[in-house]
Amino acid sequence: MNALPTNHPSRRSVLQAGTAGFGYLAFSALSTMEARAAANPLAPKDPHFAPKAKRVVFLAMQGGPSHVDTFDYKPQLNADDGKSTGRNFSKLLGSPWKFSQHGESGLHISELFPHVAGHADDLCLINSMHTDLPNHPQATTQMHTGNFQFVRPSLGAWTLYGLGTGNDSLPGFVTLSPPNGAQNYGSAFLPAIYQGTPIGGTGRNRFTRQQNPEPVKNIKNPRLSKDLQRLQLDYIKSLNSGKLARDEFHPEVEGIIESYELAFRMQDEIPEVMDIGSEPEHIRSLYGLDENATSSFGRQCLGARRLLESGVRFVQLSSGGWDHHRNLRDALSNSCAGIDKPIAGLLEDLKQRDMLKDTLVIWAGEFGRTPHGQSTNGRDHNNKGYTVWMAGGGVKGGQRYGSTDEHGGQAVVDKVHIHDWHATILHLLGLDHTKLTYRYAGRDFRLTDVHGEVAQGVIA
Amino acid sequence: MKPAAITTLLACALPLLAQAQMSEGISPKQLEFFEKEVRPVLVEHCYKCHSKDGDKIKGGLLLDTRIGSRSGGDTGPAVVPHDLDESLLYVAVTYEDSSLEMPPKYKLKDSEVAVLKQWIEMGAPDPREAAKDDNSPQNYTNTIGIEEGRNHWSYQVPTKPATAIAENNDWARNSIDVLIQAGHAENELTPAPDADHRTLLRRLSFDLTGLPPASDEVEAFVTAYEADPDKAVSEAVDTFLNSPQFGERFGRRWMDVARYAESAGKEINAAFPHAWRYRDYVIDSYNSDKPFDEFITEQLAGDLLEPADEFDKAENLVATGFLAIGTKGLNEISNRQFRFDLVDEQIDTTTQAFLATTVACARCHDHKSDAIPMSDYYAMAGIFLSSETLYGTQRALQNRKETELVHLPSVIDGGENRSLGEMIDLEFRRQSAMEQVQELTAASAQARRDGDAEEATRIRQQILGVNSRIGALDRALGNYDDTGKAHALAMGVRDREEPFDSQVLIRGEEDNPTDERIPRGFIQVIKTHDEEPIASDESGRLQMAHWITSPENPLTARVYANRVWSWLFGEGIVTSVDNFGMTGEAPSHPDLLDYLAVRLHENDWSTKELVREIVTSRTYRMSSDYREDYFEKDPYNSYLWRANKRRLDAESIRDATLAVSGELNLERPVGSAVSEQGDGLIGRGNFPQAVLSRESDSRSVYLPIVRGVIPESLALFDFADPSLIAGKRDVTTVPSQALYMMNSEFVLKSASAMADHLVNDLELKGAPLAREAFYRCYSRPPTADEGEKTYNYVLNFIKAAQESGHSRGEARLMALTTFCQSLIASAEFRYLN
Repeated sequence: MNALPTNHPSRRSVLQAGTAGFGYLAFSALSTMEARAAANPLAPKDPHFAPKAKRVVFLAMQGGPSHVDTFDYKPQLNADDGKSTGRNFSKLLGSPWKFSQHGESGLHISELFPHVAGHADDLCLINSMHTDLPNHPQATTQMHTGNFQFVRPSLGAWTLYGLGTGNDSLPGFVTLSPPNGAQNYGSAFLPAIYQGTPIGGTGRNRFTRQQNPEPVKNIKNPRLSKDLQRLQLDYIKSLNSGKLARDEFHPEVEGIIESYELAFRMQDEIPEVMDIGSEPEHIRSLYGLDENATSSFGRQCLGARRLLESGVRFVQLSSGGWDHHRNLRDALSNSCAGIDKPIAGLLEDLKQRDMLKDTLVIWAGEFGRTPHGQSTNGRDHNNKGYTVWMAGGGVKGGQRYGSTDEHGGQAVVDKVHIHDWHATILHLLGLDHTKLTYRYAGRDFRLTDVHGEVAQGVIA
Repeated sequence: MKPAAITTLLACALPLLAQAQMSEGISPKQLEFFEKEVRPVLVEHCYKCHSKDGDKIKGGLLLDTRIGSRSGGDTGPAVVPHDLDESLLYVAVTYEDSSLEMPPKYKLKDSEVAVLKQWIEMGAPDPREAAKDDNSPQNYTNTIGIEEGRNHWSYQVPTKPATAIAENNDWARNSIDVLIQAGHAENELTPAPDADHRTLLRRLSFDLTGLPPASDEVEAFVTAYEADPDKAVSEAVDTFLNSPQFGERFGRRWMDVARYAESAGKEINAAFPHAWRYRDYVIDSYNSDKPFDEFITEQLAGDLLEPADEFDKAENLVATGFLAIGTKGLNEISNRQFRFDLVDEQIDTTTQAFLATTVACARCHDHKSDAIPMSDYYAMAGIFLSSETLYGTQRALQNRKETELVHLPSVIDGGENRSLGEMIDLEFRRQSAMEQVQELTAASAQARRDGDAEEATRIRQQILGVNSRIGALDRALGNYDDTGKAHALAMGVRDREEPFDSQVLIRGEEDNPTDERIPRGFIQVIKTHDEEPIASDESGRLQMAHWITSPENPLTARVYANRVWSWLFGEGIVTSVDNFGMTGEAPSHPDLLDYLAVRLHENDWSTKELVREIVTSRTYRMSSDYREDYFEKDPYNSYLWRANKRRLDAESIRDATLAVSGELNLERPVGSAVSEQGDGLIGRGNFPQAVLSRESDSRSVYLPIVRGVIPESLALFDFADPSLIAGKRDVTTVPSQALYMMNSEFVLKSASAMADHLVNDLELKGAPLAREAFYRCYSRPPTADEGEKTYNYVLNFIKAAQESGHSRGEARLMALTTFCQSLIASAEFRYLN
């Protein structure tokens, strides 16, 4: 257990000293890690042990992509196509798509992902995932925060809290297409500076088509020079610090103070980072920006690379519409076609920049889908067995880790629960999930609660 | 909890269903076999434990109906036609699987087993209908027993707890305080001292009107409070409750719950140009303190009420817009699918908004955690299927789902009329478009005959385009009568001429209906004894409204009282405000929740009375002072040992910005930016982004709320997603908010207006100017330290600005403007203490 956070006077003195104004530092849980963080909560911090990955890009598929049609090869499912499952009228539905082997590893990947399949030797398919509930909102929140009942910090927020970030002129955790529900990229009780900053997206309406990210808004003051604006921000900070002192304990006000400092620095940095137009033609086409089907997700992927390159610790992007209850054949094809080339482009581009070795690429939906059909052209939610994959940063590529039963219904071998998966991700980042704690209201909290086991086999 | 939905059936699909039923029919020979051989075996050996009339329903399995046999019990389907291995009934009677042997105490005769075998092999023909002898359909899969389910706390009728104030109790002002004190005592907490007068007035003003108090109101309140705090509070509360801004504030809260928006959302985001009438209806209802039970009934069944006059009739019709403004997938190809999705959205909204119950979970399977069988879902589905939803929208390339709208009585102004000439012109254009379609159709046929498929395709594309134009013209013409007088139109519902019961759809799949029809009805676990029967010629919406508003309904008053509480404290007594089911949170103060629910009944469902009682309590008046020991004990302040520090919602931040700048226009605009544009698709044609992001000086509640295109000023500060029922909003703190405050046109403009107002209208300068600015933004004068820092800031800024080339006049104005902007941008502006 860590030392207790009690010394308010020193917090006030930090504020009054008026240096960086990151007031929470002196009083938040004084673990050694934080003590090292000095004045800036975003400053890089040492991990618990040597990390394999330094940054993360999290490709979140909303709706629950079918694993048995993509990354979990189940020949027996096709052999048993049409057989009853013994559950309410439902029959097994063989995958309409062909799987073939790729790379030196001979990994089976379906024809829905021809481009990603080209990177088979980099992929670790975790075929034995399982999560607690088969409902979208809960499963989504559990995927992002580990807990579906209470508001808890998201994976990105924990990562940023644990490691800081390489560029304090950018948010350390950026979400390019925020998922529904701010808690899915939120910081909960962690300091607000660690929550995901939505950039460039068009909001979080899952019913609306994603449009191309707009240029970042309100990034320049039309009236003031930077020097004059700095004067103004110092004045705002003095007002906010006064309030914080009066309130004694008010993390949200600290968050506001920090957000102004970050916003001020972002004004110089963000326009350049987000200027995808400056990328050469061959890179743009590598991500599929020149094709209608792929340009939307391609822009996210390219934007993600630019952010990672600029030192952002954790980038989250998302693709919606994976909830294929019916019209599986057409709709799943379209969904896959929309992301296949962009993701392959991202992997290729990271590799050619020598960044893949320490960038963890994660592809995951909140759950998978049933091997039995819903009617004859759709699949239902399946939380008992599904697939996510990881690549890059310390991941042992070209392998299937764990497995489901012969039809892909339930994880049976080397099962990986969300908590185990989170523990593994933190491990790759050099963080021990049992030690990455934050003291709130007298209790130490972890991303993995009291659970989680690192899936050693995933690690190279 | 809502399973993404799958499926359907519809009024116009009834003939199809009839067909399906016939094809399910069985031959006379099969019938004879079933009646002579199969049924006796089932009755003799199985019904005792597996029938509706049996002793008990074991394993959730019913074998006395076809659907029961087919869907099976806890372990799986009992009967799978043609498949012996999968038919658990057969497995059980053969005694081959030691874990499943039925009947449990003896094995059937071989001849009886053979009969069942033969029956299943021939496809298990089964003439039996669902049990239809009463109005409460069987919970045939029995996931959670209804009676067992009724034990959950929220299904118990609320009772009024004892709340006498003890003589030596000098803290409590009213019953609420007594109940809060009980929680304090139990948890060894003491209440925070009263908030100071200015803080309290600011809190009241934002909570009840969504606006900051004016500087002179603050001063007057301080004087009154020093003379008599209780009286001052009571008078201030009355003033706020009686101001038209109360309805705008509380109405907007309700609109979050009612997922109010002015477009269809989803893929084809068609505008709802008449939705604003519902918005105004909600605001007016709060201002007139319409009893909440009436408010519910009007929204669910206003069209079925007997109106007092034409105005009343119009109001009742507009109210049903509640059921029509939800999201719609207008490009859904299947009518059946569309219809069931629409009904699903209505069930979901109705049950969550009023009952905090997630019934929509039971579309595809029995509710996993609450005692809501699928049959309950389809009982309600029948009510909505028997109603017709009128939401308008314009027919277009991908919208084949347009409907009529509700015509309001002629006493209601329909807006600008058109001249006869314009009408003739519209009609002429329509005629010529129709002719064009005919010509093109002929040309396309000719091209096909000539073997020019490419040309035929090209022409067909053209036809689609012209048809869209006709759609637009039809809608335009439909908005007026023949003389060009504008109809007053609204969104809403009406009963179908021939109401009908819904079938159960297996797993909610449209192509998987059973032939069991569930009589229209309600959720059985929420039982009231005054439920009214639904006549065959009625949809049942009125009866549903009466069931929801029944004094015996254990949820309605609790759910609403809890919402109101959460609007005033930032958290509900039940924090999961939209979910009072098993997966929801338990109340922190069950007695208090009951008390408030009972009070709501006693006060004839008056919102204002409920609010008055809450905000005049000592509990509401506490300060938000921090105490570390209490924080360790109760970090979420569940026991209310202090007031919560709350960030203002997006509307209040924007409205307050306008208010302090002197630019706020309190008049209610007619219609909205969406109604001005009329019908169309968002993002195209008459609905470019610019139209929807156009700034206005009206209150935020009147900004266009289009799904997917929420105005930036609202979206950045966590406005609720209007596609979903949202009883609670997020609070985020991100740099994009800071950038908005630093650089956005709206904030810069407001700051300039504020500076201009202070200097030129109020002719202030120096310390009095600063004082007025602080009063406006913080409802208090600056502290000495703030005064000094402000003085220094202005001096330093002027100096620096001059040094960088600005004239003294410019520099001074910039200093004042950035000072005003800084107050708006600061934390205190957007936080309530």
